[in-house]
Amino acid sequence: MARQEEDKSVIRRIIHVDMDAFYASVEQRDDPALRGRPVAVGGSRQRGVVAAASYEARQYGVRSAMPSVTARRKCPDLVFVPPRFDVYRAVSAGIHAIFARYTALIQPLSLDEAYLDVTVSLAAHASATAIAQDIRAAIRAETGLTASAGVSYNKFLAKLASDYRKPDGLYVITPRMGPRFVESLPVERFHGIGPATAARMHALGIRTGLDLRGWDMERLSRHFGRAAAFYHGIARGLDDRPVEPDRKRKSIGAERTLEQDIHHWEQALAVLEPLVDRVWEASGKRGLGGRTVTVKVRYADFRHTGRARSLAAPLASRAALHEMAMGLMRPFFPPEMGVRLLGVTLSNLDDGGTPAAGTQFALALDPP
Amino acid sequence: MKLKADRATLLKALAHIQSVAEKRNTIPILANVLINVADGRLTLTATDMEIAVVEEIGAETARNGAVTAPAAVLHEIVRKLPDGVAVELDHAGGDAPLALRAGRYTTSLNVLDVDDFPSMTAGSLPNHFTVPASVLRGLIDRTRFAISTEETRYYLNGIYLHVAPGEAGPMLRAVATDGHRLARVETEVPSGAEEMPGVIVPRKTIAELRKLLDEGAEDVVVGLSDTRIQFSVGPVTLTSKLIDGTFPEYDRVIPRGNDRVLRVGKKDFSDAVARVAAISQERSRPVKLSIGHNLLTLSAVSPDQGTAKEELDENHVTYDAEPMEIGFQARYLNDITDQIDRDVEFLFSDSSAPTIVRDVASPSALYVLMPMRV
Repeated sequence: MARQEEDKSVIRRIIHVDMDAFYASVEQRDDPALRGRPVAVGGSRQRGVVAAASYEARQYGVRSAMPSVTARRKCPDLVFVPPRFDVYRAVSAGIHAIFARYTALIQPLSLDEAYLDVTVSLAAHASATAIAQDIRAAIRAETGLTASAGVSYNKFLAKLASDYRKPDGLYVITPRMGPRFVESLPVERFHGIGPATAARMHALGIRTGLDLRGWDMERLSRHFGRAAAFYHGIARGLDDRPVEPDRKRKSIGAERTLEQDIHHWEQALAVLEPLVDRVWEASGKRGLGGRTVTVKVRYADFRHTGRARSLAAPLASRAALHEMAMGLMRPFFPPEMGVRLLGVTLSNLDDGGTPAAGTQFALALDPP
Repeated sequence: MKLKADRATLLKALAHIQSVAEKRNTIPILANVLINVADGRLTLTATDMEIAVVEEIGAETARNGAVTAPAAVLHEIVRKLPDGVAVELDHAGGDAPLALRAGRYTTSLNVLDVDDFPSMTAGSLPNHFTVPASVLRGLIDRTRFAISTEETRYYLNGIYLHVAPGEAGPMLRAVATDGHRLARVETEVPSGAEEMPGVIVPRKTIAELRKLLDEGAEDVVVGLSDTRIQFSVGPVTLTSKLIDGTFPEYDRVIPRGNDRVLRVGKKDFSDAVARVAAISQERSRPVKLSIGHNLLTLSAVSPDQGTAKEELDENHVTYDAEPMEIGFQARYLNDITDQIDRDVEFLFSDSSAPTIVRDVASPSALYVLMPMRV
């Protein structure tokens, strides 16, 4: 840490750009009737889930990933709009093009947020903060949408910073501020500490960044295994993860929340068919083959379970994926209670660019 | 229950019995053998709830009755008794232990209640036919190596036995596949089997049956329904559940248009495969076949160990099609050639397409083998 501060040249300049209520804002932009009103993008039907909520809707407590039924209860005037992902993708591409004017080191996290490493771009610009301001202005001018940005010396803090003055804000966490910024932060607000880990930390008396900093590597390792180094770092405002422009995809998955709970294998089959299609198509489009198939089941009480199986070589055909997925899913039926979600994921991906010698081809046997 | 039996007779039967009895010890009574004397006849029974084996053996019976005792222990004891000795089994009934006496040796074994011993009944078996043991051996030996062990594809964990229309009328076919290779062997439909349903006989049943087929019985009586199959081999009756699943439409993966024909002597070929493959311990490394006019070069590369190569020339090989290269897992090649007597015929399409392998002398068997990328 001290050494980093001395040597300014190794201090990175990272910007995290996060579009404000992205899907909902696009809808409000394109339909003036929606402006100023609480809008939820997503299905309004029984099993729908809110994909994005406008700031008006958020005032009522509507959040993304919330069941639509709950959202409507919280906000009876909520306007549901079906998502238009093709539009969001197009807007996202436009925003990406704006980023690309400043740096090639862009790591998109989703359609509406990305990390940018502008360390080497600094020569041509006044500062990272100025770049972030320019980007926000360009996004507003070219897309009519607002974005929040966080500027700091690593990804972890840049992301915290973008959240700090949201919406339509900019916040900078300097190396001097970093450690103190983290001190007062509850661990559940740390990106990279999920609810389960946060609960375990609470049980150990770790509630804030300061508490976390009191733990040395050895103790952290004992409780958190491989993640210990990351926690040790972020408690001190340190995070050396690079911005990875062509970050490799680790898995390709599809899942579906069902209109109504299902109980029978025949119903599951009907759900799984299109999921297998989607996964197989997506893997084909990206030219990725996967060796591991995982299936996921979520029950009516939200408990979830799954099974996985790996092969020595990437799956050779849709039929093979289909067969694996069906075989893995079959034992869950008949279930003890209704099933509300099924998912299929392909992982252990291999880009197939240089197919390894020794890949065994498979017979194209009919699925059962 | 009281009886006296010849040690060798008892040992042979107990060998069959203990191999079926459950070894994992999840349900204790499944590890036991049911010893039953009724009407002066002795039968031994074991089951793991999937398979049941019942064997009638010759014995001097003194008193009717039934008892269950640990099969593996009993087998081990009888195995260690001196040859030629008479073995006496004596059970007073109820919870009393089972006494075993042989010469000056005695033991007393704890028993479990006969009423708890699960009966696995065959139910009604509408289809019955008789098939020579040698024919059944041929069906099993030439297919069982291809049975899948992958649990998710449970419907491939056995041999699919069914009647299919052949070129010269219906045939009884045995088919097994693990998704990488497929073996199909056929024989004339035995009288009585014409109407049989297609059934998948589990791997363990096949293994037990196969052992029994070496013990001298000429014929095997097969009885089956949709859910059960029963084999009567001499004094032994093996009853098994069938795999409840649908075997894939395997015909679709048997290519029709493969026209590049390679013929090679079985021994020369399989020896060369074994030598070339010895360079790598990795199972998944391919042996590459480079094929030209009457010339076959086998080669293998191991990143760690090095390379190996062997040529088979026109004295061993005939091939008159376009030159090609194709790779296969060595074990898959040898599993097939192990079932071939003298000459092997390969029918290729290209280096990533299913290849047909046949025994030149025996058209009843057909193998399909998927290549590996080389």
